[in-house]
Amino acid sequence: MKRFINDIKKFKSYTLYAAKSGMKAEVAGSFLSWMWWILDPLLYMLVYSFVAVYVFGSREPYFPVFVFIGLNTWQFFSKTVKAGVKLVQDKKSIVTKVYIPKFIFILEKETIFGIKMFVSCALTVLFMIFYQVPVNWKALWVIPLWLLLFMITFAVTTIVTHFGVFVEDLMNVLTVALQLGFYISGIFYSIETRILPKNELIGNILIHCNPIALIMTDMRNVLLYDGEPHYISLAIWAVIAIVISAIGIRTIYKHENTYVKVI
Amino acid sequence: MSESAISVKDVKIRYRMMNKVSFFRALVSRSTYSKTKYFEAVKGVSFEVPKGQILGIVGKNGSGKSTLLRAIAGIFSPDEGEIDLHGNTISLLSIGVGFQNALSGRENIYLSGMLLGFSRDFIDEKLEEIIEFSELGDFIDRPVKSYSSGMYSKLAFSITAILETDIMLIDEVLSVGDAKFKKKSYAKMKELISNEDRTVLIVSHSSDTIKNLCDNVLWIHDGEMKMYGTTAEVLPKYDEFMK
Repeated sequence: MKRFINDIKKFKSYTLYAAKSGMKAEVAGSFLSWMWWILDPLLYMLVYSFVAVYVFGSREPYFPVFVFIGLNTWQFFSKTVKAGVKLVQDKKSIVTKVYIPKFIFILEKETIFGIKMFVSCALTVLFMIFYQVPVNWKALWVIPLWLLLFMITFAVTTIVTHFGVFVEDLMNVLTVALQLGFYISGIFYSIETRILPKNELIGNILIHCNPIALIMTDMRNVLLYDGEPHYISLAIWAVIAIVISAIGIRTIYKHENTYVKVI
Repeated sequence: MSESAISVKDVKIRYRMMNKVSFFRALVSRSTYSKTKYFEAVKGVSFEVPKGQILGIVGKNGSGKSTLLRAIAGIFSPDEGEIDLHGNTISLLSIGVGFQNALSGRENIYLSGMLLGFSRDFIDEKLEEIIEFSELGDFIDRPVKSYSSGMYSKLAFSITAILETDIMLIDEVLSVGDAKFKKKSYAKMKELISNEDRTVLIVSHSSDTIKNLCDNVLWIHDGEMKMYGTTAEVLPKYDEFMK
């Protein structure tokens, strides 16, 4: 634990600089590529809104904003976790030359995807203004919700990163799992209004056993519908995130020296 | 004898002859690690390097020199034994200190410097000197992927040469770039090495380099220490052996 904090302090400036220059490189790659940080979520939102409204007949108040919040949350999670699989391999040139705690790479990725998420959140705010969504102090709940999202994503990614080094086809398995996650997390439909009334058990399982769905649902509740977050479930997931992170970090510390020999 | 900068005690380093496993195999056989064969690259080496000394490490290809060097640099820990650096900072000078190809040379200087444990302010201070030494000119703001291999190693060399650490590990990079830069880097190297506080470990196949630069020589053969002594003592025997 002490080592973890020391390492974070030691590599803090590296993490930030690496994230910053990583994003810069992405932008430098093609003209106006930063536009994609906005266009990407916007276009996806349109696609899913279309499918949800016209094919499945979803009806939620402020629907585009509803989809936006879901997509943003999900994309952050799934992109980071997916990046985790090949993380050590991708950083081979660094890993074989100097010692660096491998979870630093995860934080770097989270910073990059986090900033992208904030960019599309700005878009969410614009849409909220456009739809004149009434907002009150409960909206402040998004900050702890983001924090929890960050923690859960970190926890899952530590595990994925570790096994990603050794297990060759982890990406195939993970892609399917994330696809499932995408559909059951309620990104373009509301678990609370569409599933809960029909089948209480399944609805509750879907909301409370899937932290991403829980965060998404609560974010919408506090931002759009003047609702309360699920305090207890959130607290439980925070504890779980810390426990898994601790296990993940320990595992990485224990095995990171063999990573170099495998990649 | 003066205080030692590096203590290596009975170090063994094993590589697991490990292939990556598939997801299903990992599920079926719980122990993915246990059945693997081991290959011992370094088989119990012990030595001390006094502060300020220049130690050459020689041995044929695959004898474990680079593995040992990487272990000393802390890139992976030995499976058995101990390596104590007595609190000295250390850097491994080898081609490309983890450059990110999409980024510019300038950004890579910062990244490499930070990876070596230097603060941003310190790198700010040294930045101009590094750029000047590397002779890259305007290329410093272009992405590293557009560099020729010579430019690439020039930059790598400049970073580690200017951002000095207490202990420097050099893995066969004394001949970098064109003839002019080679001369310059060799001179710089000599200057760095001759600093009395700096401890240097050099891995090289060139007997001339070793003869010119090193005080002592460690000869590793098949992961074991064959000889350790002054250059005059060890090098002739090594040359004899390699003939």
